[in-house]
Amino acid sequence: MTIAVVLLALLVCAWLLAVIEAWLTTGRLRPAAPLLAGLSHLGRESLLPRKPDRLFFETAPVLLLVVAVLGAAVLPLAPGLVIADLATGALFVNAALAYVLVALIMAGWGPNGAYAMVGGWRFLGQLIAYAMLVVMPITAVAMRAESLLTSTIVTSQAGLWNIVYQPLGFVLFFIAAMALAFRAPFDLPTAPGELAGGVDAEYTGVRLAVLRLARLLLVITLAAATTVFYLGGWHGPLLPPWAWSLIKTLAVAVSMLLAGHYLPRIREADLLGWCWKLGIPLALLNILIVGLMILVVP
Amino acid sequence: MTPVLIVALLTGAILFGIGLYGALSQTNLVMIMMGVELILAGALVNLVAFWRFLHPENYAGQMFVLVVMTVMAVEMAVGFGIAIARFRAKGSVEMEEAGDLKG
Amino acid sequence: MFLQAFFVAVFGLAAIGFGVAVFRTASMVRSALALLFSQAAIGCMFLAMQSEFLGVLQIMMMATEMSIMAIFMVMFMMDPGGLGGMDMSHQKRFSIGAGVIAAGAAFAVALVSDWGPVTAAAPDAAMQTRELGIEMLGRSMLIFETAAVTILTAMIAATAVAIPVREPACNDDKDKNDKDREASR
Repeated sequence: MTIAVVLLALLVCAWLLAVIEAWLTTGRLRPAAPLLAGLSHLGRESLLPRKPDRLFFETAPVLLLVVAVLGAAVLPLAPGLVIADLATGALFVNAALAYVLVALIMAGWGPNGAYAMVGGWRFLGQLIAYAMLVVMPITAVAMRAESLLTSTIVTSQAGLWNIVYQPLGFVLFFIAAMALAFRAPFDLPTAPGELAGGVDAEYTGVRLAVLRLARLLLVITLAAATTVFYLGGWHGPLLPPWAWSLIKTLAVAVSMLLAGHYLPRIREADLLGWCWKLGIPLALLNILIVGLMILVVP
Repeated sequence: MTPVLIVALLTGAILFGIGLYGALSQTNLVMIMMGVELILAGALVNLVAFWRFLHPENYAGQMFVLVVMTVMAVEMAVGFGIAIARFRAKGSVEMEEAGDLKG
Repeated sequence: MFLQAFFVAVFGLAAIGFGVAVFRTASMVRSALALLFSQAAIGCMFLAMQSEFLGVLQIMMMATEMSIMAIFMVMFMMDPGGLGGMDMSHQKRFSIGAGVIAAGAAFAVALVSDWGPVTAAAPDAAMQTRELGIEMLGRSMLIFETAAVTILTAMIAATAVAIPVREPACNDDKDKNDKDREASR
C-alpha cells in the first residue's frame, strides 16, 4: 500500500515537472503533452546501433529508473509514509544515487558510439567533482539530527529548518544535487549542442521513454531529498503533511529547472576546480560551524 | 556446525581463490589490481561473518572492516598513480614488458 | 536462521559468479562492471548478515571505485573493447592451481576449526550505527585517524607520481635530459 502511494506520488510529481518544464520553454500549458509524448515513444521503432554492447545498452535505462526509485524509497513524504525507514537512510540515498554513474557509464559504453562514450566518461569526472559535496552536507545534517534515520532528520527540524540552521550546507547540497541529476548547467554527459545528446544520443523508442522517465524521477528524488534534509520535510502550517512534502519537492525541482534555464553550461575542468578548491573547504567549514553550534546551543 | 557461518566463509574462500588466480595470471597491471580487490573482498566477507556470528557485541570487528575498505581505496589510488607514471615512461603497463623492474 | 543462510548463499553465489566473469570476459568495461556487481553482491551479503551500515557503505563505495577502475582499464588495456579476442593472461595453470589450493586451504581451515556457539541475534541497525560511531571516536580513534592520514598520504603520493615530469627550464638541461632518455632506451 505504502509502496503504491509513494510510486504514484513520484509519477505525479514527474508529470507535473514535465508539464512545468514544457511551460517554461514553450510558454504554453499543455497538461496532456508528457503523456502523449511518452505514448508516441512507445509506438516508435526502438533502433539498435551497430555492434552494441547489448547487455549494457538494455540495462542502463532500467538501472537508472530503479536507482531513482530506490533513492526515493527511504525518503518520508509524511509521518509513516515511507517505503523503508532504514537506520542508515541518509547514507542509503547516497548509495543508491552512486549507481546513477554506473547507469550512465553503461549507457555511454553500450551503444558503441563516440558521442555517447564521451558523455558517459564525462559523468565520471563530474562525479569526482560533486560526490564529496553530496556526502559532506548530509554529514552535517545527520550531526544535527544525531541519527541517519530520515524520519528523525525531519523531526529534528520541527523548530528550525536546516536551510536556516546551515544555509551553507543547503547551497552546496543543492548545487551537488543539480550536478548529480545532470540538469543544465551541469548537463555535461548529455550536452545538447556539443555532444548531440551524449548518452541520450543513441536511444530511441521505448528505451528513450524509459530513460526520460528515469531522468525526471531522478530530479524528483533529489528534490525530495533536499526537502527532507533541508526544508523540514512534511512540516508546515495549515495544509496536511503530504501536501507540504509535495509543494516543497516541486518547488525545489522547479528552482533546479530555473537555475538551468538562466545559467550557461559549465566546463568540466572549471567544475572540478571549483568543487575541490572552493566547495570542499566550504563543506568542511559547514561541518565545523554546525558542530560548534551543536556544542554551544543546547 | 553452523551453516550460515560456513556458507559465508566458503564464499570468502572462493572469492579469495578467484582473486589470487586473477592477480597471478593477468598480464596487465589494472587487471592484477582487480584480482587484489577480489582478494580483499573475500577478506571483508570473512570479517563481517566473524563479527556477526561470533562477536556481535565487539565493534572493533566492524572497525576492522572499515580499515580494510580504506586499504582497498589506498591500493587503488597508489596503483593507478604508478600505472600512469609507468604508462608515461614506457607506453604500456603490461607485466610481460616490465622485465626492467627485475633487479 | 535458515532464511538468513539462504540469502547469504544467494548473494554469495552472485558475488562468485560476477567474480568469475571478471576474468572471463574480453571486454574491459564489462570486466570492471562485473567486479562492481561482485562487490555490490558482497554488500548485499553484509545486509543479509544484518550489518546494515557496512553493507550500505560497501555498496556506495564500490560503485565509484570500480567505475574509476573501468576508465583506467579503457585507458591502459591494448584491446578495451575486447573485439580482437586477445589473451591477456600468462602462467595460467600455475595460477589456477594456486587459486584452488588457497581457496581449498581457507575452506578446510573454516571446516576444521571449532567456531563455538553462533550468536543468533544481532544488535538492531540503529544501535549498530551508534555503537560503531562510539567505537570509532573512542577506543579505535587512533586507528581511525591513522587510516585518515594514510588516505591523505596516498592521495598526495599518487598525485605526485601521476603528474607529468615538467619540461626542463633551460636548453642545456633539455639536451641532457634527451640524452638520458636516449640512453635509457
